[in-house]
Amino acid sequence: MKLTVRLPIAVVAFLSAAQLFGASFATSSRVVREFPVDPAGSVWIDNPFGSIDVIGSDSNVISVTADRIITAPDAAMMKEASDAVAMSFEGDTKVRLIRTLLPPGRNARWSAAVNYVIRIPRSLNVKIGSKSAEHIRVSHVNGSVTVNGFSGTLIMEGVVGASAVSMVNGRIIYDYTQRPVARAQVQAVNADIDMYLPANSNFDWVANTINGDILTTFNVRAGRFNDLVFHGVIGSGGPTINTEALMGRVLLLSKGSAPTDAQSVRSSMPERPRVPNDVLLQPAKKLQLPFVNGEFTFAGSVADVTVGEVRGNARIETGAGEIELGAVFGQCNVTSLGGPLNLGDIMGSLFAHTGAGDIIVRAARMGGQVTTDGGIVRVIYAGGPMTLRSGGGDIIVRQFSAMMDAQTTSGDVTLTGDPAQKSIPVTARTQQGNIVLNVTPRFAADIDATILTSDPDVNEMHIDFNGITVRREQVGNKTRIRATGKINGGGERVELYAEEGDIHISAQNIAPMRLANPK
Amino acid sequence: MPDCDAVRENMPLLLTESLDPARREVAHQHIETCPLCVAEWSSYQETWQLLDTLPAVEVPVRVKQRFLAEVAPESIKPNVVPFRRRGAARWLAQAAAVVIIAGGAFYGGHRSAPSTQLTPTPAQVTAIQQAMPAAPFYSIAESRVLPAASISPQIEGRPDIQNVQFTDASPSNQQIGVSFDITSHVTVTGRPTDKSMVRLLRYVLENEDKESPSRSRAIDWVRSTYSHVGNPDPEITEALANVLRNDEHQGVRIKAADTLQSMQSTMTDGTRDALVEALKNDPNPAVRIKAVEALAKLARSGGNLNPDMVDTLRKKASQGDENVYVRVKAAEALSSIQPQ
Repeated sequence: MKLTVRLPIAVVAFLSAAQLFGASFATSSRVVREFPVDPAGSVWIDNPFGSIDVIGSDSNVISVTADRIITAPDAAMMKEASDAVAMSFEGDTKVRLIRTLLPPGRNARWSAAVNYVIRIPRSLNVKIGSKSAEHIRVSHVNGSVTVNGFSGTLIMEGVVGASAVSMVNGRIIYDYTQRPVARAQVQAVNADIDMYLPANSNFDWVANTINGDILTTFNVRAGRFNDLVFHGVIGSGGPTINTEALMGRVLLLSKGSAPTDAQSVRSSMPERPRVPNDVLLQPAKKLQLPFVNGEFTFAGSVADVTVGEVRGNARIETGAGEIELGAVFGQCNVTSLGGPLNLGDIMGSLFAHTGAGDIIVRAARMGGQVTTDGGIVRVIYAGGPMTLRSGGGDIIVRQFSAMMDAQTTSGDVTLTGDPAQKSIPVTARTQQGNIVLNVTPRFAADIDATILTSDPDVNEMHIDFNGITVRREQVGNKTRIRATGKINGGGERVELYAEEGDIHISAQNIAPMRLANPK
Repeated sequence: MPDCDAVRENMPLLLTESLDPARREVAHQHIETCPLCVAEWSSYQETWQLLDTLPAVEVPVRVKQRFLAEVAPESIKPNVVPFRRRGAARWLAQAAAVVIIAGGAFYGGHRSAPSTQLTPTPAQVTAIQQAMPAAPFYSIAESRVLPAASISPQIEGRPDIQNVQFTDASPSNQQIGVSFDITSHVTVTGRPTDKSMVRLLRYVLENEDKESPSRSRAIDWVRSTYSHVGNPDPEITEALANVLRNDEHQGVRIKAADTLQSMQSTMTDGTRDALVEALKNDPNPAVRIKAVEALAKLARSGGNLNPDMVDTLRKKASQGDENVYVRVKAAEALSSIQPQ
């Protein structure tokens, strides 16, 4: 008796638990349609989720087989999804449009995908749009093909006509069954491109990648790099095949050869004088080292470089990436075409440049030059003469002990002088922003501070010292406020220039900064 | 329905159009129905118009000297070269003129009263606080017109008095006027999440003069304050988005984008669109870097994406003449997007 009660309860409990733990139901339904079409016409396929197979044939109609698969946690959701997801067949014999319709802002608890197999007349032009697909395959089509997808593998097989295909996170495999006779534009952002072509092909090849490599088993003639873009000729040349894989690699294989035989076009390039962008012609690297005992030299295209300590000189060149150095006992030379630089305690002279990004320097004991084409420059301690430049962004120096030259096209410049120095030469300029110079009350200098402003009521000159003469004059439609004079009897020249901003020379007690000695 | 006293108390604010819309409407409705208040209101308006027509009169030298000796002794002038805003709006001058009359009345009364020596003491216009209308909220938008009797004879705390002007409209009546701009320093305290505090910061970020030197400092402050707050109010991120869109100062835009990056949790559609716009069009590569980093972070966190954002990232990743780092970051952002 007890068993007969317990069993149904156990079954109910089990089913409920299964429900609670997210068991879901899937259902599929199939639609088959056939449409007449003009042999010179087009078919457009827009299917956000699901695979697409387009196969060219000798038929003169478009035949569509669509399998709709809906996954939902319960019957109600299943019904909602079934009602919401529709397939649409529109157009005429010139243009046929096949679409999957999904409601905007749909319920995330159910998902729907439609897998299409579409047979078309070989001569038709094909245009495909997709967001997520297990695969998109276009085969044996003589017309032009355009594919715009986001994720999934794209396979182009025996496509004869012109093609323009673009995937974001999906690999592209392009298989030519005969020699290319039409232009092809192949682009992938975060994936590889593999192209297979007959060995006797004739075409012009353009390839481009930042993070990957460009490999081929073809004999490439007249190969040359123009910045990041490689140009070469295969055979006697012909239609252009343009392959661009931003973060992936490009592989161009002659049929019958093995991928392992492929060579990088970069390594086969003749020696030539180095130019700054050459770092981009090398494969990407990623480097993390706690300690380098001696000199450290690194060059890479897209590289994040982190080194804890370099007991010698450091020389780093990257095309893009983040560079972080803890301590450098010798000279430090860092060049990046883009990305932030985070530099620690630099004992020798420093040269740091980035094409764009912030630069932080904890200590530049011997001074140096720090420049960014756009970004914030922050130096905690400058022990030697320093030149700081920003193409746009603030410049902040927490303490400087020697000559300081800071200029930004737009941003505030905030400099604090070493309290142990009675006088230090300073040049600070901003074309749009404020300048604040903090010094001790006994700081001595010859001051020449200028504000050029279109609103003299807003921009002000504050100088916490006696002995300054301030003049105002009209320059065109702007007002120039110029303060000159000697403070504390005069000393090194302090030249400040701010457009559309304030200048503040502040006298205050500043605590001296203490740097730990290297061990 | 407010009583007559409350309405009359608000009339100076009504006159300067500084009363908030709701209270203004209530006050006008009351005035229309109350004959006593109508008379009072008419009187205010006449006085106001009269003030507008008063000519500027050169101050008598002795008055000027005595006044300056009273308010700004030479020995304690700050060692600063100030250039302050002049030429404030007309209503401010009118408001100051009311203060002049009050001051004049006091001065006249003081001269005729038995001699009472005032001891010079440090700063506080305590009467301002006494004359404030007893409203449930303190409106920082209001401009105050103070009746003469409300000015305390005790001037303490060295108030910041600027643009001093002297008037003697009618030499025969022994009345003089001293007009000036006075800045009352207001400190608002509260939690960073208090709506009033959020609104105040939004105002500071969005509505200051474009050349205002304090905007970038305000962003720094907002960043340091709200980085400790779990979910900063969306109004803060919207204000930063507006700065990112509109500020001519590249350095300020960099800071705004950088700060938005640290406030992912409250990113609205508007802020996301501002970042997309900055990535598309900002001429400064540092702004574009901050924008793409913020969008990449948003994509990684599965935040609210839209087709325009994805399309912009895609274009940026492929744009040959874009900074390589921006392209790489755009690609990274795309790699973490799952189509929905």
